[in-house]
Amino acid sequence: MTEWNSSALVKAATKTGKKKNSLTPMTFSLLHATDFADRLLYNVIPPLKAGMIVLADRYAYTAFARDAARGVDRRWVRELYSFAVKPDLAVYFRVPIEVSTDRLLARRVKLKFYEAGMDMGWSTNAIESFKVFQGKVLDEYDRLVEEFGLSVVNAVGSITEQQRMFRKVVSQHLQIEETDEQLDEQLA
Amino acid sequence: MSSSTSNLPDGGSGGIRAGSYYGNGIPYLPIDGYPGKIIAIEGTDGVGRSTQIRLLREWLEVQGYGVIETGWTRSELMQPTIELAKASNTLNKLTFVLLYATDFADRLEKEIIPALKAGFIVLSDRYIFTAMARAGVRGVDRTWMRNLYGFAIAPHLVFYLKIDEKTLIRRVLQSRGMDYWESGMDMKLGDDIYESFRAYQRSLLREYTSMADEFGFRVLDARRKIDVIQDELRRQIGAFLAESDTTSALRVDEPALTRP
Repeated sequence: MTEWNSSALVKAATKTGKKKNSLTPMTFSLLHATDFADRLLYNVIPPLKAGMIVLADRYAYTAFARDAARGVDRRWVRELYSFAVKPDLAVYFRVPIEVSTDRLLARRVKLKFYEAGMDMGWSTNAIESFKVFQGKVLDEYDRLVEEFGLSVVNAVGSITEQQRMFRKVVSQHLQIEETDEQLDEQLA
Repeated sequence: MSSSTSNLPDGGSGGIRAGSYYGNGIPYLPIDGYPGKIIAIEGTDGVGRSTQIRLLREWLEVQGYGVIETGWTRSELMQPTIELAKASNTLNKLTFVLLYATDFADRLEKEIIPALKAGFIVLSDRYIFTAMARAGVRGVDRTWMRNLYGFAIAPHLVFYLKIDEKTLIRRVLQSRGMDYWESGMDMKLGDDIYESFRAYQRSLLREYTSMADEFGFRVLDARRKIDVIQDELRRQIGAFLAESDTTSALRVDEPALTRP
């Protein structure tokens, strides 16, 4: 399992940049690519060589969507990540903008500066800024679904429904059989 | 991971106009028509770049040009991280390349582009070519490297201070000695730092030479005396600026020395 933005190497610079709000769309993009490269070489490729399954909580597609939404050249970001291993299966959990905003607000935590896209100066209001930014990110994802053949899971429903759908997609891909009863038991 | 098979320009400055982006550039930062100039001094460690840049700066400022300097790994954002990564030897070639690119992007957006817009001369102590040479000898894909730096601006002048392996070794030993990275010890060419330095610098010099045509380097013999090289730099830069002064107003009205 590997998570976005978690390599020790890049953490210091990302933290400095975020604290001072001094990251530009380009340095934001490049720092995340550095983080990705670090994790790819240390956490992704070795388990793949050992024949294991790597679950990646976000992958290069997050960068494609987010960086393009910030105005970075689409082709350049794709070329940048051409060192990445193409995933055997990429699943996109899709929600409409209203749902993602509501969920985020329900967390009752303050939106972070970059998360809300406030570096772009579209709005000084974090929620308004988030809506504009997230709208652009979702548009980019729609392009990606087609371009890279992402499997789409409707993420509006309950977690159980989503997990059922997700397992179905994964099972089909891995050609394993799993019954709904197993899932219901685990989620109970 | 790219789904497109389209080929980007290979970054060669042959067809790229000085002062414009090598590749697609930074879409949100159009730079067309910015009056400033980028003058890059390239060359391996120990060829005397910083001395030459210091002298050039004085000379240019006396003539009334606004000058800023920028140099490798000097960005506020990345310098601590790069130092840390170097100290702990955790860099692999890919993260090495990407950290440097981030450093360059930070300086490009925050120092170089604003200076170009304001009509300054940017003296760059190494440019993207050092990164390309170092990546090249480490086996990083050349096309990928050129695409990566597609956001860089083609300099107006690139001077390459060329030196031979033997002279370089003597100079480095006389000054500060050989260090881990300059000797390419990360490439595991051998345990002997002298042999490693030699092999590494030799391949670096080969990389620079192979880029000379592609990126239009003006090659200067770095074995000559400091003032001889400086005279040559001034002659070529002077000629270039005289030509561009007629098209853009780079120079401030009064010489810098007479200003308060």
